[in-house]
Amino acid sequence: MTNETSTDAKIENEIQIEENMTTEPDRPGGAVPETAEIPGVIETKDMSVFYGDFLAVANVSLNFGTNQISALIGPSGCGKSTVLRSLNRMNDLVATARTEGEVHYHGENIYAEGVDPVEVRRTIGMVFQKPNPFPKSIFDNIAWGAKVNGFRGSKADMGDLVQEALEGAALWDEVKDKLQESGYSLSGGQQQRLCIARAIATKPDVILMDEPCSALDPIATLRIEELMLELKENYSIVIVTHNMQQAARVSDKTAFFNVKLNDTGMRTGRLVEYSPTEQLFTSPKEKDTEDYITGRFG
Amino acid sequence: MTTDTQIEIDPGKGPFRKKSRPGELAIRGFLFFCGVLSIATTIGILYELGKESFLFFGDEEVSLVEFFTTTVWQPQVGGFGIWPLILGTLYISFIAMIVAIPIGLSAAIYLSEYASNRVRGFFKPVLEILVGIPTVVYGFFALTFMTPVLRSIFGSSVVGFFNVLSAGIVVGILIVPLISSLAEDALRAVPDSLRQAAYALGASKLEVSMRVVVPAALSGIAAGVVVAMSRAVGETMVVTLAAGASPRNFTFGQDPLFGYILNPFEGAQAMTGYVAITANGDLSYNTIDYNSIFAIGLTLFFMTLGLNSLSRRFVKRFQQVYE
Amino acid sequence: MSVQAPERPTQTSFPNEEEYAGQLGRRQRKALAFKFFCLAMLTIAVLALATLLYTIINDSFGLVAIVNQNDPDQVVAEAGYDPETATLQDLSYDELVGLLEANVSSGVGRRMERDQRFYEDRLVFEDEATWAEICSSGEPPTGCNAAPRDHSNVYALVLERVVVPDVIASYPLVPSLLNPEAFEEEVAAGFEAGRFPDYQPEQAFIEWRAWFNPTFLTTPQSSTPEVAGIRTAILGSAWLVLITILFAVPVGVGAAIYLVEYAKPSRLNDFIQTNINNLAGVPSIIYGMLGLAIFVRVLEPFTSGAMFTTGVPPSDNGRTVVAAGLTLGLLTLPVVIISAQEALKSVPDSLRHAGLALGATRWQTVRSQIIPVALPGILTGTILAVARAVGETAPLILVGAASFITTDPSGPFSKFTALPIQIFQWTSFPQQEFHNLAAAASIALLLLLLTLNAVAVILRNRYSRRAE
Repeated sequence: MTNETSTDAKIENEIQIEENMTTEPDRPGGAVPETAEIPGVIETKDMSVFYGDFLAVANVSLNFGTNQISALIGPSGCGKSTVLRSLNRMNDLVATARTEGEVHYHGENIYAEGVDPVEVRRTIGMVFQKPNPFPKSIFDNIAWGAKVNGFRGSKADMGDLVQEALEGAALWDEVKDKLQESGYSLSGGQQQRLCIARAIATKPDVILMDEPCSALDPIATLRIEELMLELKENYSIVIVTHNMQQAARVSDKTAFFNVKLNDTGMRTGRLVEYSPTEQLFTSPKEKDTEDYITGRFG
Repeated sequence: MTTDTQIEIDPGKGPFRKKSRPGELAIRGFLFFCGVLSIATTIGILYELGKESFLFFGDEEVSLVEFFTTTVWQPQVGGFGIWPLILGTLYISFIAMIVAIPIGLSAAIYLSEYASNRVRGFFKPVLEILVGIPTVVYGFFALTFMTPVLRSIFGSSVVGFFNVLSAGIVVGILIVPLISSLAEDALRAVPDSLRQAAYALGASKLEVSMRVVVPAALSGIAAGVVVAMSRAVGETMVVTLAAGASPRNFTFGQDPLFGYILNPFEGAQAMTGYVAITANGDLSYNTIDYNSIFAIGLTLFFMTLGLNSLSRRFVKRFQQVYE
Repeated sequence: MSVQAPERPTQTSFPNEEEYAGQLGRRQRKALAFKFFCLAMLTIAVLALATLLYTIINDSFGLVAIVNQNDPDQVVAEAGYDPETATLQDLSYDELVGLLEANVSSGVGRRMERDQRFYEDRLVFEDEATWAEICSSGEPPTGCNAAPRDHSNVYALVLERVVVPDVIASYPLVPSLLNPEAFEEEVAAGFEAGRFPDYQPEQAFIEWRAWFNPTFLTTPQSSTPEVAGIRTAILGSAWLVLITILFAVPVGVGAAIYLVEYAKPSRLNDFIQTNINNLAGVPSIIYGMLGLAIFVRVLEPFTSGAMFTTGVPPSDNGRTVVAAGLTLGLLTLPVVIISAQEALKSVPDSLRHAGLALGATRWQTVRSQIIPVALPGILTGTILAVARAVGETAPLILVGAASFITTDPSGPFSKFTALPIQIFQWTSFPQQEFHNLAAAASIALLLLLLTLNAVAVILRNRYSRRAE
């Protein structure tokens, strides 16, 4: 279960954390490496997002670790989805959206002048709240992203790619005999796994997931959570969830956002606390965090 | 649970009787009659067209076989083959579709995928005005502007005074709003989450529009195209004024295909044109000319009915994809 | 600057970083080209509209070369007035009739009188005995029963028969503004080439002419294009609109109410709905054929007014306003039904439930709760549908709109003409003056439609704001 890409510093910190951790032998996530110092795969630096004059989320500085699952939680309106969507410049699609600050992907600011958002999204994939497969066949759903990004292999290569993606999404066995059927012929949970397969077919680095299970029943949810833990080995995942228990189950680190009223009456989302999940849920540093996770508001 | 007050229950009557309301019934009857009147219209159309067509085909000069198999329409000498008129109608409609589909579809894509609300606020009224202009004014435009322009471009020896091209282009302009508004509705009905998914995979705007949204909206777009085609087929004033009153009689195999049969620069009477011109002249009941317009009308009715049913089938298919 | 992901797993099927960058540039360029293509297509549509409007306006105003057979100033002087201060139009009704008497042959005069009398109480060209005879015959001329002429009517006649203006050449608006001398040269060249054999070059003078002007709207139709107006046509169209509304609105709204509020899903009701949708797509010329066969022919006793022997003057056949109005009504009916259905369906069900839950009958609920809320939508839809009917020509041709008629329609059972028919007729004549008239009439028709549509939009905006 150890991460292949751990650095020496991480291992040092690991030992430190283990001393602080309460024993939770059943937790599937295992030991959580502390990556506070080392820049992760995506790092936001003092990022704020405006919709017109409305400041949706302010001064977010976060560091998402490689091959980790990072969760963003918080009450409605706290801006967690906005933050997620700014990581792959999906906010650009909203005409009034404006981002200040920087978002570094492997050290490069994706909001710098001259960066093409199309290229950003090539290696940062996204899975959405409600499964949204294309009205095409299962095969074409997965092949589409690859083709658009310049896939030039033969038909056989494409077939391999599709199979690989579906296996990675734990869907291959269920659909291998009906690849030409419409993506809509699958159940909700299967559709979501299809969307995950679609996202990993383009070989991204990072997968962003916006409340991926909120439209699914508990059994489908469980399967997706298991899948997430498998995917962690090869991808870095950032997930937004309104389900605290889910965050506790799957994530390595959790960021808690809250809505704050500023003096002009505007409701702006702010990052309150970002800690290893274990710590955030058992001994949160901020009172707001504690209030939220104990259900005093939300 | 007992109540203190007892309601007097009359055996056989009960407190809740079904009151007879004759007023309600009368109103409902009247409204039903209004609805049924529409069926009467269809029956009337079919009956009248059918009856006169029957008389038409019953005349010794005309035979059903001749109507559908010969290619000369010259009533004065007894030629009653419908194909020259159908050729005129279809050729003009074909040119109209060539004009209208690129313009209408591109307009729809732009308005749906690219345009800001301000831009839409400018272009949509323009399209609505285009569809509101009476066809006779379009006919005037075809005759006084389009034909002279074509004649100056291609030379007045090539382009006749009446020509199919001028009528076709103007009919095309006329039906652009039909395609663009139906296509735009179909494009906007495609859920935004599909676009988001495509963008998230690293696609450019062109790829999202043309390779995800348009294919998803395809049956809705097809419905719009078919409706426009049906409108072009039934169009009367433009073809009467600009395409002329001589049917393009031809003999298949003898007449040169591109030099004559498919020559867009000469006039060719359409089905609707024939009906309009004939009715505009002296028309006495029970003559062969009178009956002939009903036979043509019946054919036209079935053509447009077929096209409209096809279009509705497309709409249903489109609605089924998005449950 | 490109965003690179270091150490991506090697995949030969995917492009490497350089190739991708190149491809990305190409893809984005294609995307931009496509966007401009779409915009260009939209612009073509706008240009088409602009060109159409330009053509119409261009032909409705401009320079003309006129020859008057009798100079109107001279005629005014001969009538005893000072041509500097008085124009022909200032003459009294009696004086104008006198001019006609003096200048028109008795045969033509009698024909004019038979079309429409000059005076209620006396005859000008006919003698009483002959008049009584022809009026009691089997086919009396329209003058026997129609109202007598009025001032503008006789003035038009005087222009037509006494002054006899003849436009020998006309010039479109824009060239007239930019290059008027070219027109003078053209006219002079025309005389040299012998194109105007009836006149001498000195007789012709060039003046500005607005073919579309207020007089145009009030002057009746005439075979002389110089003095023709569209009054008869406007009145005809007005009558048609009235009859169409009277027929299509009650029946259409009634059918819509039935289908939305009363009809339970059944095969019959499905069939009615499909039927209506089909009818909305039937070409207008087929409605014309239906009107011809049924209203004009079968129902001739009704449409010609022969059934009603008192008061309203009958026509000799069924090609009357009422036949055309009913035909247009049938044409509009499906559209009215469908748009009324939309308006009714947009009323939330909660209103219906609330009404019924209070113990109201269905009709009471519909009448007091649903219809008031849906009314603006119904009105808007009706106005738009009627606006479309106003511009229809083909059904009117079929039903037998008169191609040339100078008398105003006096009732539902009179012969008629309509604006679109006039445009059609004038466009099909080859002379340029008729095209000018057609253009001017088109402006009138478009203005009428603009007004109707504006009313509909205003209604829609006013009521949708109120509903919030």
